[in-house]
Amino acid sequence: MTLRQKLLLMFSLTVIGVVAAVAWTVSLRVRGVFEGLDREQTTALVTQFQREFDAHAADAAATVERLAASDELQRLAFSFSNGGDTAPYLTIAAPLAQQYRLDDLELVSRDGNIISSAQWPARFGYREPAISALGKPAFLKLEDMPDGSSQIGLFAVRTVTGSSPPLYLVGGRQLDADFLRDFPAPPGTQVYLYRNLTDSFDPDNFTGPAQLPPGAAQFGQLVNAARSSARNATGIVYLTRHREDSVNATAIPLKGANNSVLAVLVIANSRRGMVEVQRHIRDISLSVAAIGILITVAASLWIAARISAPIEELARAASQVAAGQWDTRVDIRARDEVGVLARSFNHMTHELVTQRDRLVQSERVAAWRELARRLAHELKNPLFPLQITVENMTRARKLPRIQFDEVFAESTATLQAELANLKAIIARFSDFSKMPDPKLERMDARDALRRVVSLYGPALEEKKIDVGTSITADQLIVLADAELFHRALSNLVLNAMDAMAEGGTLTVSASRSMDTARIGIADSGPGLTEEEASRLFTPYFTTRQHGTGLGLAIVQSIIADHRGRIFVERPDNGGARFVVVLPLANLLLAAESKT
Amino acid sequence: MLPRSVTKLAFSGLLTAALLSSVAAHARTRPHYGGTLRVETVGDAWQLPDGLARRLTLDTLTTINESGQAEPALATRWESGNADHRWEFQIRPGVRFHDGSPLTADTVVAALDLTCQPVAATCLWRTLHAVGPSIILTTDSPTPDLPELLAQTKFAISQQDAASPTDGTGPFRLTGFANGALTLVANDDSWQGRPFLDSIEIYPHRSIRDQWLDLSVGRADVVEVPPEMLRQAEQQHLAVLVSRPVDLLSLAVTPQGPLASLQMRQSIALAVDRASISNVIFQKQGEVTASLLPAALSGYSFLFPANLDLDRARTLRGGASTAPLTLATEDTSAAMQLAAERIALNLHEAGFTVLATPGAHPPAPLVLRRDHLEAASPRAALDELLARFGQNGTVTGTDPAALYQSEQAALVNGAIVPLLWLPRDWAAGERVRDLRLSPDGIPLLAGASLEGAP
Repeated sequence: MTLRQKLLLMFSLTVIGVVAAVAWTVSLRVRGVFEGLDREQTTALVTQFQREFDAHAADAAATVERLAASDELQRLAFSFSNGGDTAPYLTIAAPLAQQYRLDDLELVSRDGNIISSAQWPARFGYREPAISALGKPAFLKLEDMPDGSSQIGLFAVRTVTGSSPPLYLVGGRQLDADFLRDFPAPPGTQVYLYRNLTDSFDPDNFTGPAQLPPGAAQFGQLVNAARSSARNATGIVYLTRHREDSVNATAIPLKGANNSVLAVLVIANSRRGMVEVQRHIRDISLSVAAIGILITVAASLWIAARISAPIEELARAASQVAAGQWDTRVDIRARDEVGVLARSFNHMTHELVTQRDRLVQSERVAAWRELARRLAHELKNPLFPLQITVENMTRARKLPRIQFDEVFAESTATLQAELANLKAIIARFSDFSKMPDPKLERMDARDALRRVVSLYGPALEEKKIDVGTSITADQLIVLADAELFHRALSNLVLNAMDAMAEGGTLTVSASRSMDTARIGIADSGPGLTEEEASRLFTPYFTTRQHGTGLGLAIVQSIIADHRGRIFVERPDNGGARFVVVLPLANLLLAAESKT
Repeated sequence: MLPRSVTKLAFSGLLTAALLSSVAAHARTRPHYGGTLRVETVGDAWQLPDGLARRLTLDTLTTINESGQAEPALATRWESGNADHRWEFQIRPGVRFHDGSPLTADTVVAALDLTCQPVAATCLWRTLHAVGPSIILTTDSPTPDLPELLAQTKFAISQQDAASPTDGTGPFRLTGFANGALTLVANDDSWQGRPFLDSIEIYPHRSIRDQWLDLSVGRADVVEVPPEMLRQAEQQHLAVLVSRPVDLLSLAVTPQGPLASLQMRQSIALAVDRASISNVIFQKQGEVTASLLPAALSGYSFLFPANLDLDRARTLRGGASTAPLTLATEDTSAAMQLAAERIALNLHEAGFTVLATPGAHPPAPLVLRRDHLEAASPRAALDELLARFGQNGTVTGTDPAALYQSEQAALVNGAIVPLLWLPRDWAAGERVRDLRLSPDGIPLLAGASLEGAP
């Protein structure tokens, strides 16, 4: 991942995180505010409903009182007081109830037996225990009906005015759908009545002004809470899995004369509007956030580009420096830390170039000195015999001809031999200076190694050097110049042979390590000191009496030209081990194709 | 001193005035011919058991007199043989149907045969055929009360060959149904003589309230008075005709399913508070009964206990839980529905769960019935009632002991729980004269006349 991508990612994540945090906080706050308002509205509705309920109760009681004071019932009571038969009045309750808009009405004699019942005319003669609540405010009562059902109503018990013995009136209004419909419910608010007829919650016991919602069973928990605690229970009821189909519900237990919960009034205030507003706000917030994020990402791109561009320039310049272009410079005019870095970089490359030139110059001088020393050393050996020979020939002019001729012949032979020696020395130096460019081709490194071992087999045998091989069975295809590679390996084998003048063991190996071919050539000679090992590949460095010090330098040069590397190891059991590491052809070709 | 001539003149005048006033007084008591009588009913005018129009257009072989005995009608005489297994009825000669065709023994046989269809098992006779002017009936068991049984309206003779089965020999003939009224006009050639009324309009399916309203404003002459409203009718000073108890209110219990146990059925019979139903719902117009025949007919009705015994009912029922029972009412009138609800309440006290539902529900295990009784003699009445309850031929004798045993045998399995006997009441307008009720409480409109008719 590039710096620019990292910066972009960092900026984007930061912005997204901040936006998300802000959006979440706002959403939470908005939801809290709305739900608070909703709760307040529900509380207000509950208070209103309770007032309405109390008003209905008072109205029911007032109606019964008005009926008790009516002339018709006073005449009836008078008739009864004079021993009149009650049977003819079996059906009088129904029209009276209709006239006074009461759902339930019973005329009860002084002994507590029903004379006439509007809601269940067949109950005449049965006892009505509710007369014990005479004079009390309207109360809730569970009333059995002829069809086997039970209705809950608001009842009041009064005596007919002036009746003696008392003629009781037990009248009331049922808490049915019509009753609930009378409540002034605002839009979105529904009022249901749950009749507490069964021990466990049963949705069929619900009565409502309209058709019950499909998820009426979901009210169970709330209703049960109100039933068991006999206190108001409030909560959100989800009617379906959709959030908008939820209501803020309050369950109000309605108690009877004996303080038992006869019914539960459920006020359900729809949350649909609130949820839709919340959703609308959320959608707007998300849109704004998305646009903000997009803008921020674009800005981040620009900022990241601004920040990373000089660094990328520096990185590119550093790569060029690493590739050897030490005179690389960056053109950055920033005045911040990056500008300082750029100026330091330019200063560094300038110093590098200066140091390199200085080093090259000093190395060149050193090389020339070494070359001169070597040349002097190499040339001194043949020159001394030449000088002696020439001096002998000079002295021999004074000898008789025959002797002179002998000396002359011997001297010229010596001169020619030494001159040939000089030529050879010069040729080796010439070869080193004229190292050709390798012509790379695919070849198996194992074959090259086997060929060298085979070539020097007789010589090794002559020098009583045993050969040990450890060559992998896998192919080790490398890109190499066959001749140069062979030359390098030959030099290494010859170098090992030189190290084992008294015989020994030559161990050659070839193996694959990662994506490289690893070739080892080890001798069992006297080994190398640490200093020798460190300088071994320096041109003109040699540990031998007559070595030029160019052999291993040539080997290193060849291996380097093959994009490989060579190093020497000092095994614990003695000797030296040269290791050549070459990249395998596939990897190399892949890398080249990539570049 | 007045002159003799003046005295004679005054005497003559007084005599003439007395004579004229006597003639006028006689004219007020004599029925007038003509006029249209308007009758309103809750039920259908043709269908049984009332069948007001049927009774006016069709005649039966016999009729029942006030004492409950059979009298000649289309049959002039009858005699039995073979220990009441064979009966011969002589058909009245010279009688013609409304279309002019003569009444013959063959037409009588054809009409009676029709009454046995489609269920032959309910037939009173085994064979029936015409022999000259007579018809011969044979029965499997002695049927001493066959003349009384043939007086039932369902055995009325109609013209089977005519296009309309309403053609009979009765004092009125049906002319049509228009504007909600069934119109019948007087049959001038009736064998009983022409009726006083020219025509009768019967308005069926009228509520009691509407009937009374029409009576009060003169739009109706004869209306029904349910027993439970008799007191109101009297309070409104209506001229009410009250019959003897002719309607049996009973509870039919299906002796199968949830009530297969005899103890359960006995429990039901003991749990019903007949007195409350009679005294309150039917305003003391009913006669509490646990027997099929009313006390006036049988004399032994008191032998069947009709008292409420809730404790014993609970004991008989035991603690077994039964599924909710349905109590259906064939008669959907308010009083009957109220009675059904009261019975349901009574049974609830005994531990039953009963739901009273209006209308006939054949599979209902409990049905509150109201059966009309036409017969006026004990044996005929018992036969008629047992036939209604699907227990034909169980009456084996004519003496009260035999009747009692037959009745006890019919009631012993608890499938029939008699509750009340109720009368039939009718109210007539001021211009209606000479209106009487038949022994089974149906107005004898053919004998009525209208005051002030032209």
